[in-house]
Amino acid sequence: MTSYPQSVGDRSFNATRLRKTVLEMAFAGATVHIGCAFSIIDLLAVLYRHHLRYPGNDPLAAERDYLVLSKGHGVMAQYACMREMGWLDDAAIKGYFADGSDLKGLSDSRIPGLEVTSGSLGHGFSVGVGIAMGLRKRCTDQKVFAIVGDGELNEGPIWEGSLVATHHGLDNFMVIVDENGFQAMGSTAEVLSLGSIQAKFESFGFASLQVDGHDEVAINAAIHDLWNMEPGRPKALIARTVKGKGVPFMESDNRWHYTRLNERTFAEANAVLDAGRGFK
Amino acid sequence: MRDAFSDALVRLAVSDPKVLLLTGDHGYALFDAFRKQCPDQYINAGIAEQNMVGMAAGLARVGFRPFVYGLSAFVPVRVLEQIKLDIAHDNLPVVLLGDGAGFVYSHLGTSHQSTEDIACTRAVPGLTVLSPADRHEMTACMEYAYSVKAPVYLRMGKSDREDVHGAAIPPLTSGRMIRVRQGRADLPALIATGSMVRTAMDIAQDGLDAAVWSVPTIKPLDTAQVVEVARSSRGVVVLEEHSTYGGLGSAVAEIVCEHQPTRVLRIGVSDRFSAHCGTYRYLLKEHGLDTSTVRDRIYAFHANA
Repeated sequence: MTSYPQSVGDRSFNATRLRKTVLEMAFAGATVHIGCAFSIIDLLAVLYRHHLRYPGNDPLAAERDYLVLSKGHGVMAQYACMREMGWLDDAAIKGYFADGSDLKGLSDSRIPGLEVTSGSLGHGFSVGVGIAMGLRKRCTDQKVFAIVGDGELNEGPIWEGSLVATHHGLDNFMVIVDENGFQAMGSTAEVLSLGSIQAKFESFGFASLQVDGHDEVAINAAIHDLWNMEPGRPKALIARTVKGKGVPFMESDNRWHYTRLNERTFAEANAVLDAGRGFK
Repeated sequence: MRDAFSDALVRLAVSDPKVLLLTGDHGYALFDAFRKQCPDQYINAGIAEQNMVGMAAGLARVGFRPFVYGLSAFVPVRVLEQIKLDIAHDNLPVVLLGDGAGFVYSHLGTSHQSTEDIACTRAVPGLTVLSPADRHEMTACMEYAYSVKAPVYLRMGKSDREDVHGAAIPPLTSGRMIRVRQGRADLPALIATGSMVRTAMDIAQDGLDAAVWSVPTIKPLDTAQVVEVARSSRGVVVLEEHSTYGGLGSAVAEIVCEHQPTRVLRIGVSDRFSAHCGTYRYLLKEHGLDTSTVRDRIYAFHANA
């Protein structure tokens, strides 16, 4: 059994540092999906800092809360947080995508700290609903957070699972929608209009709130508020986000779903983050 | 066979409160006993199979033992990706129960007929594939499915054919075929699964004095045993109510061509959908799986050896 560090760093989950870890990985691995990671990274910082409970700092603790990354494409943001938790070492970050390495380009449940295998979309949500149902049957106070993309809401099982979560009153389940307005081939409005995401989840029986997905104070408050709202209903947090948030030349430019960093863009992105100019 | 299924499920659920039954709104009357005795372990997940299988994975992740029931056209075929990613990838102990496999729903057409499920599930890494022939094998398969604590697909085909075994059988051993009839070594051995074991028995008992083997565990399949059967017979005939592509016939052929080359006749569904509807008996005939046609093909195979 692997033992995990009881105390690592300052656990501040500083958003700039997290983004720099993502850049480091993306550059080392010459990989894509940077924009997908940057849109959820502030949400993850708040979850890891204030909400997720890992007794003994063990990512496999039976009493843990569950963070289900259904939009597996954002996994680099979660790796960055896992590094802060002490679950990933620098070698894993620097060796991203090296032959024979463990960390893949999409969420893989065999990595302690990642709960589901996703990337094929619409899977993690259902697994998360099942986990929440099981925890409820076991009468624990453990919570399940499922992060889905707005594009991912095209997938049918999201809505199948929403019916079930409401029918069974799973108020230990919270879906967090990363509403960055883009999916692989364009804006969500162009590809397949979603209308009001909040209204959709409300109509499926969820208690819901909207929040600026890059305002950590507001995110933290919204999560607290949701858990205390309307007992008996599952929760939906609609986080309005910016794809590529933090590096201006990436923001809302959907090419950063697929673009790889080169020496120049890597240096520029780091410089922007170092100068603290990433946040308007 | 359905009673044996229901009895086994109730027995397992009573003895282990972690056992849950999830159904995609199928199984009318089949689960009356279960719902009466284990109401808190019964979940009707609605007509939403993809979510149901993903949920089963979630339940298994926090310690439960889900049995997921659907028609085999839906579980496993419709939800194959959920089985692959959510369950098999992590070797979770979920038992997938696919009812009505083959041509059971003979009047309902392609939507409810299932002749590709074995091929699909065999290719999923780590997924055990079971296919009982009668109530005794069903009981053994349910016990086995529970005991392996790993992903299992249990294929339930035509349930009201005459028993193959005269009495309860011992617990299944991984991959082992069961000899249900001794036969002459100068004749082909008949290897069959599910409904077609009864057909093989009828043909063997009525003139062709061949050995008959039943295969309740299609995957894994004991290589050494298949080799031994091929070595001790004159050719092999494989019978299944499933496509000849990717099913038991393929599994046997894969083994013998590598380890004990011999002639193999694969009797199953050709690469086609049902053209018409009718009784189960009619549909077997349409696909050349009625006893008379099968017998003729086996005799011709033997005559041309």
